[in-house]
Amino acid sequence: MSDELRTKLIKLKLVSCVGWTTSDELYSCSEDHQILRWNLQTSETSLAVKLPEDLFPIDLHWLPKTVAGKKQAQAEIFVLTSTDGKFHLASKMGRIEKSVEAHKGAVLAGRWNYDGTALITAGEDGQIKIWSKSGMLRSTLAQQGSPVYSVAWGPDSDKVLYTSGRELIIKPLQPSAKVLQWKAHDGIIVKVDWNSVNDLILSGGEDCKYKVWDSYGRLLYTSSSHDYPVTSVAWSPDGEVFAIGSFNTLRLCDKTGWSYALEKPNTGSLFSLAWSADGTQLAGACGNGHVIFSHVVEQRWEWRGFEITLTKRRTMQVRNVVNDAVDILEFRDRVIKASLAHGHLVVTTSLQCYVYNAKNWNTPLIFDLKEGSVSLIVQAEKHFLLVDGAGVYVFSYEGRLISTPRYPGMRTDILNAQSVSLSNDTIAVRDKSDEKVVFLFDALTGKALGDGKPLTHKMEVLEMALDQCGPSSERKIAVIDKNRDLYLTSVHRLNKENNICKIGAMVHTMQWNDTANILCGIQDNQFTVWHYPSAVFTDKDLLPKTFCTKDASEFSHEPHILNYVGTQVTVRRGDGSLVYSSVSPYPTLLHEYSASSRWEDALRLCRFAKDQSLWACLAAMAMSSRELTTAEVAYAAIGEVDKVQYINFIKDLPSKESSAAHILLFSGHVQEAEAVLLQAGLVYQAIQVHINLYNWDRALELAVKHKTHVDTVLGYRLKFLQDFGKEETNKRFVQYAEGVEVDWEKIQAKVEMELAKEREKAASSVRSSVAYKR
Amino acid sequence: MAKDPLNEAGLHFDELNKLRVLEPEVAQKTTELKEECKDFVDKIGQFQKIVGGLIELVDELAKEAETEKMKAIGARNLLKSVAKQREAQQQQLQALIAEKQMQLERYRIEYEALSKVEAEQNEFIDQFILQK
Repeated sequence: MSDELRTKLIKLKLVSCVGWTTSDELYSCSEDHQILRWNLQTSETSLAVKLPEDLFPIDLHWLPKTVAGKKQAQAEIFVLTSTDGKFHLASKMGRIEKSVEAHKGAVLAGRWNYDGTALITAGEDGQIKIWSKSGMLRSTLAQQGSPVYSVAWGPDSDKVLYTSGRELIIKPLQPSAKVLQWKAHDGIIVKVDWNSVNDLILSGGEDCKYKVWDSYGRLLYTSSSHDYPVTSVAWSPDGEVFAIGSFNTLRLCDKTGWSYALEKPNTGSLFSLAWSADGTQLAGACGNGHVIFSHVVEQRWEWRGFEITLTKRRTMQVRNVVNDAVDILEFRDRVIKASLAHGHLVVTTSLQCYVYNAKNWNTPLIFDLKEGSVSLIVQAEKHFLLVDGAGVYVFSYEGRLISTPRYPGMRTDILNAQSVSLSNDTIAVRDKSDEKVVFLFDALTGKALGDGKPLTHKMEVLEMALDQCGPSSERKIAVIDKNRDLYLTSVHRLNKENNICKIGAMVHTMQWNDTANILCGIQDNQFTVWHYPSAVFTDKDLLPKTFCTKDASEFSHEPHILNYVGTQVTVRRGDGSLVYSSVSPYPTLLHEYSASSRWEDALRLCRFAKDQSLWACLAAMAMSSRELTTAEVAYAAIGEVDKVQYINFIKDLPSKESSAAHILLFSGHVQEAEAVLLQAGLVYQAIQVHINLYNWDRALELAVKHKTHVDTVLGYRLKFLQDFGKEETNKRFVQYAEGVEVDWEKIQAKVEMELAKEREKAASSVRSSVAYKR
Repeated sequence: MAKDPLNEAGLHFDELNKLRVLEPEVAQKTTELKEECKDFVDKIGQFQKIVGGLIELVDELAKEAETEKMKAIGARNLLKSVAKQREAQQQQLQALIAEKQMQLERYRIEYEALSKVEAEQNEFIDQFILQK
């Protein structure tokens, strides 16, 4: 990625600040008391306001478009701060509606909060004041001895970040809440910015460095020293990149800090930078009186054999690496977002959405967008999802609107690739107001899944991803929480407890494969591939055997997995370089075989590959499909003798109900097993299950409830107590022991009878049973 | 020679027999003097003109010398600033080079990773063929 520059018009005096109204209109203020309006579509420049001679503007900020949930076509008023200690509210037409005496000395910064209900100003006098939308003083948030050069609102507009000499301070609006303060730079900090989407803080100072921090004040990146002080910083609205301005310098950086591009325009110091709302254009206020405009170009997307580059603002080049064929795609308007996956390229411009099939680059499918500013595209195999300021939409690749999921309090402007996940049948969206909650929707109807209750994790969710393959009833979601633990759960069984299983710790990043339900992630300093993560639901002990790890030192620090396509994992290292890693193709094949129940082929594959983890996967897959013969072979291959024995025991069970129950028991689902048995009328077997598990209370309860085998339970209990030389302490057992006599012969006879009864019953439906076993 | 009574009275006759108060010799000398004086005045006038031209010329020269001097000073300053400009340009180019080098390093790492993947895949293919 790099940026293309255009400087525009010479104004004689220093330009102090710039601000976008729409994606094509910019206002700039300069020291010659002029506010100019720049129209980029017509390349016209006109004088918007001629300010009074004694007014020297410092900062300009437009009121956000979305005010209190209501949407406006464009920004209507802006705040202008000046050297005489006042701030001014001015309309789009240039009329100054109100001037307010705010500070002693210059007002150095003025910023609206995200919903446009409050304004914050910072002055040379070291005070930070909060004002209502109409310019009434609400409170003085802070007071210090040195000037405050820059302020920024936190993502939820409940915190304020400001500079204090070399330190940064985060102060919540609530008076009692804790203030966070840390030394950030070796020189005075000039500019700060806080992104609402990724919650990261950017600071630039006179020590000629820029730094990236998280919202807890932890340093994530520090740049090398530049030749001149950093005079401006700005996050792009989607939080993927940011821009840095210095003397004759403009730099475009990734959110992790490394630099995409550096330009050395002849501009003097860049005093202020502003991104347009769609994140494709950047304007800068230059010390020598220019206004600089730049566009992000040379963005690249890769998928299998295709490499797509945004060569100009409206042109893309598609290169097929396999045969070196090149196609040029032209668009009517500026490209805003694009995504390439699952054989389709989705491109959005300011007005339209283009869908290309990788087989045919000549005839795209084009449909109009309601609102131009698409902020996110997520693709799945059968459809894709667009996020714009108003909502979330699922479209088919034929351009048909499938659904528009929504939940109360949805804020689409802050959704990013980590907080939205899409599969062929399910959409998952992480809530912003409570980050523990993940909303799940049916992709085809847009309605909430199951009983409508969202998935609530015990910790804040940082990242989540839906698996991409297999039937929708087995859809799984992988979740990374704040402790960096990786959990797996099914999206359809949320009402039942205890089915969210931890499968990894210290996981920084993860990604599902696009063709099989294989998960890869970077765990601490290990690169891990979970060949069959669902194994955790069938046999927990098997999970460690089903994943393979390798050293991740080649990925250096802070790697991020971009995609996992076929057998290739693409990782972006912390320094920005792409690293590829190939994964064995066998697990994918195995997934295919098990999905189509070709167990013979699966066995042959495992014998051929001679890989323990493959055998373990097969064991888990076979067990979850209740394919006992294959499971037995697989368990034998990995030396799990006890499991083999248990499987043999299950195979010998007389009725299909009890074998089904024991398969459930095998996976540790005691309650379900009991339910299956009771439903089939096998009360004794249910009791026996609990006796075997030393689950005495439940066993007795069942026995009493069904008025049978109370003596059996008591007998086994007695035997157990004798074996361990203990006294009966359980009150209920003491109570029942008084009324019931334990006679082992009688018990044996009764058990025999029960088993005979079961056999008899099974024999009557022998055909189905045989068919089932096969 | 007999004295002319007229002469004694201070009256003389000239060659044209006109009556004169001055002696003819004196009169002649006076005339000569007058002529010479006229000549002299003419010459002085000419001289003045020549000198005036000269002064003008010198002035012009002085002016030209002054402008040349200014030019020289300007050029000298420019030279000095060019050195500085070059330095700034060099600095800029240096920064751009550093940027490109970083990009190159990234590409190198990417290339290495891809080579490794290629080697792995080749190995896998070999193994696959061998086992078959």
